Amino acid sequence: MGNTLEEHIKRTRQLLECGEVAMVIGYERGSVENRRRATFVKEVSELERMVLDGLCCENLANYLVREELLRSFDGKKVAIFLTTAGVRSVNILAAEGQINPDCVIILGFEAEKPGELDSAIKMLDGEHVDHYADSIQQLKSRGFVNDRAQVIVKLEMMSAEERFAFWREQFSRCVKCYACRQVCPMCYCRRCIVDCNQPQWINASAHDLGNLEWNLVRAFHLAGRCVGCGNCEQACPAGIPLMLLNQRMAQEVLKEFNHFAGESSTQLPVLADFKKDDPETFIL
Amino acid sequence: MAQILEKNKLDEMIARLNGDGCEVFGPRKNDTSSWYGKISRAEEFCFDQILPDRPLKELFFPRTEPMMKYEIKKQQVDAENYVLPKKQRVIFGARPCDAVSLTIDDALFAWDACDEFWFERRENSVIVSIACNKKDDFCMCTSLKSSPDVSTGSDVLLHELVDSAGWRVSAITPAGQDFIDKLGDVFSTTSTDVSVKPPAEVPVKFDLDAVIRKLNSPEIFESDFWKTISVRCVGCGVCTFVCPTCHCFDIQDEGDVYHGVRRKNWDSCSFAMFTRHASGHNPRPDQASRWRQRIMHKFNYYLERFGQISCTGCGRCSRVCPVDMGVTQTLVTLSTNGGK
Repeated sequence: MGNTLEEHIKRTRQLLECGEVAMVIGYERGSVENRRRATFVKEVSELERMVLDGLCCENLANYLVREELLRSFDGKKVAIFLTTAGVRSVNILAAEGQINPDCVIILGFEAEKPGELDSAIKMLDGEHVDHYADSIQQLKSRGFVNDRAQVIVKLEMMSAEERFAFWREQFSRCVKCYACRQVCPMCYCRRCIVDCNQPQWINASAHDLGNLEWNLVRAFHLAGRCVGCGNCEQACPAGIPLMLLNQRMAQEVLKEFNHFAGESSTQLPVLADFKKDDPETFIL
Repeated sequence: MAQILEKNKLDEMIARLNGDGCEVFGPRKNDTSSWYGKISRAEEFCFDQILPDRPLKELFFPRTEPMMKYEIKKQQVDAENYVLPKKQRVIFGARPCDAVSLTIDDALFAWDACDEFWFERRENSVIVSIACNKKDDFCMCTSLKSSPDVSTGSDVLLHELVDSAGWRVSAITPAGQDFIDKLGDVFSTTSTDVSVKPPAEVPVKFDLDAVIRKLNSPEIFESDFWKTISVRCVGCGVCTFVCPTCHCFDIQDEGDVYHGVRRKNWDSCSFAMFTRHASGHNPRPDQASRWRQRIMHKFNYYLERFGQISCTGCGRCSRVCPVDMGVTQTLVTLSTNGGK
């Protein structure tokens, strides 16, 4: 058991007062009772609107790479409420050269029952990503034991035709609003591949082919990078079970390359690196 | 005297309509999503929801549709227009706010050039709406001076009976009366009036006139208000795509150098790409200016040009916003003291 919530708030106040951070990114009450949303606090007087409970599920690491917010950090540090998944996002962003991890002060927390208002909240120790190395290793050794893994097993047992039909039906609802991309901390590209039109790599239309292309390209781009925060699935207005794809890819890179996304801020990206003993079973 | 449609007559209604070559569409649902889709059996209808996740507009203005195909040859270009199959349709069980949206977009699609795809579908469709007797936290039709049982845009309006066994049927337009007359004995007639459930009580969340006044004031355009209110916006297009009146589209040619299909695809003012010039310059450089555009378009420019507000108060934008923003909070703030 780590800090208490009061200590996090006290620390936040201190960071703002001494001017060490330009901003604290946390949560506030949303537009209706059971919603929480991101809040951006720059003054001590605004601290009172911050909340932290089981409904605070959004991975806020996304806001660390939002161009417009970055401008307002003004070279200073930023403090941010993150779960371990969020910390892993920061590790990847650092490993990929997008942020300096020393500029991120982590206020770690974990909900016992995420999504439930009365869930107990555990505060996590450690303000720097490096302090989370052990707990991330524990997560890695635990692997992917969850309900989703069961569904993935069922999908694996289908014939290729059945599985294709399943995903075709799921993707048929995609409207290409790109909410999955916009809420993802890993989708920080200033120009996404779908926005390139010379050449047009991916059909812009939200028809069967265009939707398949988009969702598969995104899944591949997240292989070994997705930390499983679930922002994308939560945001999808069409209810596409995107995390099934992402977790399947994560399971694959763990099994084949012993790679767990966001282990450290110096981890090499699995698809941009090789080792001499990488399996080559797919090469004829 | 009142005409009644009993719920157990729906299969008969569908069979009769299909027999006349008319397709039936209505609210549908699965585990994770709901929409207006084709219905072949009454059990496929899902009336037990506030409103479908996806708006009615997609039956008139699909998210992607072919306009023409072309072939480029040595000395000539062959182009063939896409012709919509002529199909009569009944949309049964639309929500009144969705029916209203069609009349709002009529003005746009008739402006300048007439959008034949939109109007052909409009002419071929009869809209049978069901007045709302339930609402959720996001419904705000009353704030837009509309109501849960407004008849605008509907050809027929249904009110659910107190015993939930059916609906009281009211013709709103000649097309609606024609629909009722054609189906004849599918409806029953009572000699006395019947009791129907009262419309949902949707609280007024903001003063629309105050919003309009505020958006007309000269200082609002450059105000920091837009930055503050849109700070958490991540620039996805969800709010525009689920909006029943958002109508922006992009024209895309798909194919190779010599053959292709020209398509009309939904687009969104939330996207940075929406306004980016080929030079790289973007006149709407940040999410704040894109959000301002969205609000100004709906509550100022559209009003000025077409005399209507481009919002029905369905609340979908706020319901689905992944970062809990949506239009409602902006309007509430504008109508009180925001935007100073």
